[in-house]
Amino acid sequence: MYSLLLLNGGIGARVAAGRPKQLIKVRGLPILVYSLIAADAVAEIDQIVLNYPDGWRDAVEQVVADYAIRTPVTYVPAGDTRHDSVANMLSSATNDDVVIHESARPLVSAADFMTLLAAPGRNVSLMLEIPFTVAPVDPATRTVTGYLERSTLRNVQLPQKFAKADLEDAHRRAAADGLTFTEDATLVATSGHEVRFIDGSDRNIKVTTPTDVLLATFLLGGRPEEAWNA
Amino acid sequence: MPDATPAPSRTLLVTGASRGIGLETARRFLQNDPALTKVFTLARPSHDFDDAVAELRALARPGVEVVRYDVDLGDRAAVIDVVDRVAAEHGNVDLLVNNAGYTKPVPLQQVDFADFERTIAVNLYAPFTFVQELLRRGNRFELIVNIASTAGINGRSGWLTYSASKAAVINMSEVMRSELAIYGTRVACISPGRTATALRRVLAPDEDPATIMQPQDVAEVIEMLASPVGRFVDSANLVVRQ
Repeated sequence: MYSLLLLNGGIGARVAAGRPKQLIKVRGLPILVYSLIAADAVAEIDQIVLNYPDGWRDAVEQVVADYAIRTPVTYVPAGDTRHDSVANMLSSATNDDVVIHESARPLVSAADFMTLLAAPGRNVSLMLEIPFTVAPVDPATRTVTGYLERSTLRNVQLPQKFAKADLEDAHRRAAADGLTFTEDATLVATSGHEVRFIDGSDRNIKVTTPTDVLLATFLLGGRPEEAWNA
Repeated sequence: MPDATPAPSRTLLVTGASRGIGLETARRFLQNDPALTKVFTLARPSHDFDDAVAELRALARPGVEVVRYDVDLGDRAAVIDVVDRVAAEHGNVDLLVNNAGYTKPVPLQQVDFADFERTIAVNLYAPFTFVQELLRRGNRFELIVNIASTAGINGRSGWLTYSASKAAVINMSEVMRSELAIYGTRVACISPGRTATALRRVLAPDEDPATIMQPQDVAEVIEMLASPVGRFVDSANLVVRQ
């Protein structure tokens, strides 16, 4: 069985004035609801560890209650960084394996979780090919410093799954070395544990900007594939 | 959005089950849905309801339960009490048919406000309350059918309270359809035209019921919506009329 660490603590200053972005609504529903409902339909997830921004615990608990989420939920305050948040949530996980997801990705489905859980290996991330060219630069001098082969690069997506012991070990090492990571697949891999990946989907967007809210609204709105001939 | 997979066993809750479209709906599902295990019939106590439940129980295959709840849908506390009992005693409601309707058709100047409130309570608040309260108890619907009326599409002179309540049902159904898609729940709204029911006799006392659409015709459309092909019916408001 798995514990889902559902990251929900971001402040999201780029998205909404005065509100944490996870309480932003997409199609009239709090964005957090989409991930909760998807995870709630996955039998292998029997615990949800949910964090909340400072001052928002009641509002987050109310969403869980209103939507009658059946999976038991453990509430944890958000850390100063995403890295810290995962470390805090990890200590509340009761299973030997965890899934990490973030509520800012509302297009996740129960099937996405199930595909990830069925994938071989205990440490696995969704990742997406990069369809455009990226370049290494020196922002200080505004110069291009070389070349990156995009076929060996991936856009890191969530959800991811990890053996709890490997993730804990990686966080211990990072803390000892004073390192902070922005996500956990590279953290765990850098710590010497094998991390695999399966292909994600370009629909599984992270809602960060007001344009992302519009895009998610469109993608979640019924039948966008028929938008031109409905 | 996913579609909720039809359960290997299904339960059906029908309001206004003592006669008309509600009774015909219960009848048809009992006769034709092999997955059906329970029918929850709701109506105000009456001889019609006694007869209806007796007939439905006689019709039910062995092992299929017909459960009776006497309730006035204008009484919100009573509606919530029924939801408590259904959830505690029987578990999930897979198919919900919000059929019960009330009307006392009078011109605007003669509308008694308490009666207007009762019309809204029965026709709008009760369907809303069933859905909200069941969701709050963790219920996962496969299909919700709300019965509106063509009188909710165009206001009818002399039917202000009824027309207004049914217009609200049509709009509410559209919102439910959109919001409950996250569960894979389908929500359909049916607007029957003239149908030979007791309510129709109140609205049009001089009409010959034999000349208009029958309750079983509407029930057959509801049955179709719950059948495999019903998954392909993608209309916010299905008009059914002769």
